[in-house]
Amino acid sequence: MLNTFLTSPKWIDIENWPISWEIGGTWLFPLLESIHVIAAAMVVGSILWVDMRLLGLASTRYAISTLNRELVPWTWGAFTVAAITGFGMFITRAASHVLNPAFQWKIFLLVLAGLNMVYFHYRIYRYIGQWDDAVATPTQLKITGGLSLILWAGVMLAGRWVGHIV
Amino acid sequence: MPEFMTNIGDLLTGSYLQQGALWALGNIPGFPPIIQTVHILGIAVVMGSIVLLDLRVLGLAVPSQKIGEMTKRVMPWLWWALASNFISGAFFLFGRPNRYFNNPVFGWKLSFLIPAILLALVFHVMCKTQTNYWEFNTRRIWTAKCIALVSLGLWIMVAMAGRWIAYSEYIYFPA
Repeated sequence: MLNTFLTSPKWIDIENWPISWEIGGTWLFPLLESIHVIAAAMVVGSILWVDMRLLGLASTRYAISTLNRELVPWTWGAFTVAAITGFGMFITRAASHVLNPAFQWKIFLLVLAGLNMVYFHYRIYRYIGQWDDAVATPTQLKITGGLSLILWAGVMLAGRWVGHIV
Repeated sequence: MPEFMTNIGDLLTGSYLQQGALWALGNIPGFPPIIQTVHILGIAVVMGSIVLLDLRVLGLAVPSQKIGEMTKRVMPWLWWALASNFISGAFFLFGRPNRYFNNPVFGWKLSFLIPAILLALVFHVMCKTQTNYWEFNTRRIWTAKCIALVSLGLWIMVAMAGRWIAYSEYIYFPA
């Protein structure tokens, strides 16, 4: 079923949208790509603060909830920009991207990073009051922070690798 | 492109540095995308350090962070990230020197990067001499805001120009 989905002629139709041709054949592609890199760097640069704090390695004088409140909106804003620019690039080669192992890894790691985030926000964050100011954070927080760093770095690596396979 | 830049390109061509870089890029499995990712992770730290600091000084982000204290805390991250990016970037620079030293977009990148580094240095050094240097009086606050605005623009342009090195034909030979 997955195979049918990935080899569907629908992907070719996407590549043939007028906008796909417009992006793929002009300076719009490098423009989207450079914005994508900056936005992706902002995603990682902002979440890095929260992750390092969760690991107890940086900004330990600030409460976890304060960093979370002030930095995660930047992560989300940058992620939105990265998603839009990423979609703009994806449609220029949709059919080959869905079959590209690097792209598949990227989406897979992105989903894992998302699940890790959901777990943090809905399962752990409810009890944040207990160790909001703690420098020595509990193992559970360290794991979710460490996982976030590894997964986002993985998303970047897979994303960069996409261009080496296409 | 200034002559001294193309001269550096000529000097590197055929050198042991080029041979070493090309060997690493060609023989270590996955080396090019891995080194590029290290380079982009360095940019991520630039975003998380100086860019967020600039946004903080402009009053746009992380309001609970104290400017002087934040500067002292994030600047080491910037310097380490830049050191890392000089190394990761060098593999590509040494591997194909003429692609960079004969490429005007690389020239732009450097002309954004050098003032950006100098501004960051000024900002950091003044904070080291006096933690609240940039918040001391209204005049200093406004100087800091001007520096932050220019710095922000420069770092964004460094990253932009970096990516456009590979696409200079769109600029110099438009359709």
